[in-house]
Amino acid sequence: MPRTLDEGKRRERVLRLIQLCRTAVERGVDPFEVDVKDMLDLLNRYLPGWRDLDELSLDAEALNRLAAVIELQGNWIRYRCSLLYVDPLVVEFKVRALDASTLFNDFVRAWRPVLEYEQLSPQQIKEAVEYWNRLPSLAERLRRLPRAPWIRPSRMSLDEMLQLGVFSAQGFEQVLSELAAELRDRTEREGSVTYWGFIYSDTYEETVRRAYLTSFLITYGYARLELRGLDEEAYLRPTPAEGPSPEPQQPSSFAMPVDYETWLRLSEARRLE
Amino acid sequence: MSDEAAAYARRTKRAAQLLFFQRHRRPGVKGWELKRTLGRNYMKVIELLDQELGKLGLEIKVLQEEGQPLEKPSPEELDRALFVIRLREPLTATDARLSGWRIDDVAALAATVAYILSRQGKALQRDVERLLETKFPGWVVQYALERFLRRGYLTRDESGMLYLGWRSRAEIDQKLLLNLIMGEEPPRAQEGAPTDMEGSRAPMTP
Repeated sequence: MPRTLDEGKRRERVLRLIQLCRTAVERGVDPFEVDVKDMLDLLNRYLPGWRDLDELSLDAEALNRLAAVIELQGNWIRYRCSLLYVDPLVVEFKVRALDASTLFNDFVRAWRPVLEYEQLSPQQIKEAVEYWNRLPSLAERLRRLPRAPWIRPSRMSLDEMLQLGVFSAQGFEQVLSELAAELRDRTEREGSVTYWGFIYSDTYEETVRRAYLTSFLITYGYARLELRGLDEEAYLRPTPAEGPSPEPQQPSSFAMPVDYETWLRLSEARRLE
Repeated sequence: MSDEAAAYARRTKRAAQLLFFQRHRRPGVKGWELKRTLGRNYMKVIELLDQELGKLGLEIKVLQEEGQPLEKPSPEELDRALFVIRLREPLTATDARLSGWRIDDVAALAATVAYILSRQGKALQRDVERLLETKFPGWVVQYALERFLRRGYLTRDESGMLYLGWRSRAEIDQKLLLNLIMGEEPPRAQEGAPTDMEGSRAPMTP
């Protein structure tokens, strides 16, 4: 169902709230800059209007982020009550105003360095001598190593190379184009498809191959990877143009582990369906 | 000397060897290592050694893994704790300079630690750089920060946030440093320590 303008605005506002909370937590800014009560009232007003799972996930994420801010506010108060609290701006001002010599003298008065000797002890020398005496020569150690069987170089046929996967019968570009076409077909109705839903195949090897090729689809701009919801589930969306987009606006990288356990779980789920 | 006293003297000597000579990447010895080498009542040996070291102006400090001092630790905490030897009293400015530290590097470390402390123990590296670059050239700042990170005075996460490292917690009296910088402690008479920014660059190997 298409979203109304109001729904779009509400969604945007909640996204801004999440971003604000994230900034407060990650940048270490004053957490009291976030008006938690106001934000909770806002979420409370919007809640009855949320309909689909995406929107409810967004609401849960916003609550989660607000909880993190409240925790930060608690820590902030505890820190301000502690003996170590001094106004950061005053400290910065003082540090800027002091010369290097004064800072040096202040630091030395508060500094009690740990002692360490980076040299050999008599015990270590004794152990080293014993080790040296026990150690066989390099030639002797090499003689004890198992030898790999000697294989005479020989020719390999094209069929054998195809079988080993060294060569492909199709060109790489052609394989990518076919995969891009498949992605467009599968997203014709919904607009996007889950990443795992797209790369999944009956065998793990083929799933890995499709994941590998899909990474090129994204890199070359044939498709976009979107992370949605609290658990940041990955979705693939083909780019609107026929060919690859000339230049991505904000290049970023994201690691997608294609592990055997996840493939097994999916395989089992599909078998039960 | 009784047999018991002689045994303790031997073990105290062994404990000093263990604690003085660096065995791992980090200085210090773990409690369980001391127990293995010195026996079950190793804390008695450590106390004896601490008394001897006290005469030399040194002390044995028991630290947590992250560098915070351990107060009244349990036997289990002692096993995991790190035992280090450090100065009982602060160095004089002259001695600190002779130990190979450049004044500018120490000043940068003082400013960095104070800045991070005032921000609840974390600050973005680029904010610290901006502060230090008001006094030192960019390349000096970069070099100094990397040195502090390597030595364990700072740690950095993948988002470029700087935190105090184990060594800052183990070696620096944080409250005193902040008080001194804020001018709340009367300055002690110190010898003049002019900046050596323009001077020759001596290696900084404390």
